[in-house]
Amino acid sequence: MTLRARFLLLCLCCWSFVAFGQELNDRGMAGDHGAEGDATEVHMSCDSHGEEEYDPAGVILHHISDANEFHFFGDLTIPLPVILYAPGHGFTTGLSSMFDHGHEAVDGYIMNHGRINRLAEAPAALMEGEHYVECIKHEIVTADDGKSSDIYSARIDGEQYILDAPSVGDGGLLGGGITSFYDFSITKNVFTMLLAALLLILLWGAVAAKYKKNEGRAPSGIQSLMEPFFVFLRDEITIPMIGEKHYERFQPFIMTVFFFVLFCNLFGLFPIFPGSSNVTGNIAVTMTLAVIAAVVAYVHGNAHFWKHTLWMPGVPTAVKPLLTVVEVLGLVIKPFSLMVRLFANITAGHIIILSLISLIFIFGQNGENYLGAGAGAVVSIAFTMFMNCIELLVAFVQAFIFAILSASYIGAAVEDAHHHDEAGHHGEEKVAEGGAMGGAVVGMHTPAT
Amino acid sequence: MSTVFLVDFNVLKPDLGLIFWTLVIFLLLYFILARMAWEPIQRALRKRDGEIQTALDEAATARAEMQAKAEENQRLLIEAREERTRIITDAEKQGKEMVAAARNEAREAAQKVATDAKRDIENMRKAAMVDLKKEVGTMAIEIAEKIMQKDLKSDANQEAFVKALVSDLN
Repeated sequence: MTLRARFLLLCLCCWSFVAFGQELNDRGMAGDHGAEGDATEVHMSCDSHGEEEYDPAGVILHHISDANEFHFFGDLTIPLPVILYAPGHGFTTGLSSMFDHGHEAVDGYIMNHGRINRLAEAPAALMEGEHYVECIKHEIVTADDGKSSDIYSARIDGEQYILDAPSVGDGGLLGGGITSFYDFSITKNVFTMLLAALLLILLWGAVAAKYKKNEGRAPSGIQSLMEPFFVFLRDEITIPMIGEKHYERFQPFIMTVFFFVLFCNLFGLFPIFPGSSNVTGNIAVTMTLAVIAAVVAYVHGNAHFWKHTLWMPGVPTAVKPLLTVVEVLGLVIKPFSLMVRLFANITAGHIIILSLISLIFIFGQNGENYLGAGAGAVVSIAFTMFMNCIELLVAFVQAFIFAILSASYIGAAVEDAHHHDEAGHHGEEKVAEGGAMGGAVVGMHTPAT
Repeated sequence: MSTVFLVDFNVLKPDLGLIFWTLVIFLLLYFILARMAWEPIQRALRKRDGEIQTALDEAATARAEMQAKAEENQRLLIEAREERTRIITDAEKQGKEMVAAARNEAREAAQKVATDAKRDIENMRKAAMVDLKKEVGTMAIEIAEKIMQKDLKSDANQEAFVKALVSDLN
C-alpha cells in the first residue's frame, strides 16, 4: 500500500517536472513565433516598434500574474467565469472564452494578455455589445515627473482606445488604483483557491468521518495519515504559542491557515492546469490572510495585551508615549511581515524557476542557436529540478511559519497577566527559541526574499 | 529587452476582486472545516487522550493491586513456610522430650527396681545372717554340749576347763 503510494508520488513529481518544462517551452515559443506573425497571442500586438527579442521578464511576470483563463499554449485555454462590475454600467458576466483571446470586445471589456481590461474614454456604442479588436498596442509612456508606466491600447475600427486595468487596492502607489471597473471574476487564483478549499473539505471531511466511525478504536487509513499533522500543529504550534489554556479555541483557525496556505503553495508548484497559478505569491491573497490573522489576534486581545500596547506599565512615564508609538506600529508591522514573507518567498521561488527555464531561450538566441538551447536545457532542467525540491520544502516551511507566527500573535494577545516583563515581543522570541524549525528556516530564507 | 524593468509587476498590486474572493473562500473554508472537521477531530482526540490516560491510570492501579496481591501472597507463603518450620521444630522438640521423658521414666523405674532388689537382697541377706547366726549358735551350743558332756565327765578335765575359762576371762 505504502509502496504503491510512494511510487505514485514519484511519478507525479517526475511528471510535474517534465510538464513544467514543456509548458514553459510552449510559452517561450509563443513569444518567439509572435515576431514572425504566427497565430499566437503576440500577434495581437500592433508591433509598432518591432520588438523581436525574447523578453524573459515579460514571460516571467506574465506567468506569476493572475489571469482570467488557464493558458496552455497558443490559443488553447481553459475558460473561467468572468464577473465584472463597472460603476454606472452594472455587472457583466460570462465565460472568459467570449473574449476570443482578445479578439472580441464585450461590453467594452477586452482580454489583454490573459487579464480583462476595459476601454477607457471610448464612445458609448463601443461599451455595449461585441466588437472586433484588431490589435492591442503596448507603449511605455514616461510622464513629466520621470515615472514611466505601461499603457495598453486597443485598436477597434482603426481607432486606438486606451485600456484600463482592473481596480487594485494599492492606493495608486504602484501605478494601480481604482479604475473604471472591478474584476470579481473567478480567476486562476480564485479557481485554485476554490479547488484547494474543496480538496481540504473532502480530505478532512473523510478524516472526520473516520473519527466518527472509529470511535473508541485505533485510527486507520487516511485518519492515521492526517492525524499526525493535526497533532503536530497542536503540539508544536498552538500549545507552545497560545498556551494550554486558550489553544483549543484557536486550533481550528491555525489548522485552516496552515492547510490553506500549504495547499495553495503546492498548487502553485504544479505546473499545469489544476495548478500553475501563483496564489500565495500574490500579495492580495497574503494580505487578506495576514489581515485575517491580525484581526483574529487583536479581536481576542485581552485587557493585559491592550494595556501593554497602548500604555506600557512598568516603564517611566516619559518613555510610555514612545513605546505606545512603537507598539501601535507593531500592530501593523506584524501582519505586514506575515504578508510580505509568504508573498516574497513564493514569488521569488517562481521567478527563480521561470528564470532558469528562460535560460534555454536566452542561450538558444530565440531558436537560432540549437546548441545553446540544448546546453541551456540541460543546465536549466538540472537547476529547475533542484529548485523544485527547494520550493517543495519552502511550500511546507512557509505554511508552517505563517501558522506559527499567526499563533504567536494570537498567543501574545490572549496571554494572561502573569509574566510582566516578557509581554510584547513575546511571539518573536518564542519562535526564535522554541520553534524547532521556525527560527532557522526564517533565517535560511531571508536571502530569497 | 527594453521593457525588462518596466513590465507590469502586478502581483504586487492587491487586486480587489482577489481580496474579496480570498476573504470569502478563506472564511467559508474556516467555518465549514471548523464545524465539519476540526472540532469533531479535536473532541475525538481529546476524548481519546482522556481514554488513553484513564486506561493507563487503570493499568497502573491494576498493576499496583497485582503487586500488592503478589506481595501478600509472598508474605502468606513466607508465613506458611515459617509456620511449617515452627510446627516441625515443635514436633521434633516434643518428640525428643517425649523420648527423653520416657527414657527417664524407664531409667527411674529400672533404678527403683534395682533399688528394691538390692534392699530385698540386703533384707534377705540379713535374715539369712540372723538365721545363720541362730543356726551356728545352736550348732555351737550343741557341739559345746556334746564336747562338754564328753570332757566334763572327768574332774581333771573339769578343772582344766575352768582354768581355761578363767584365764580367758583375764
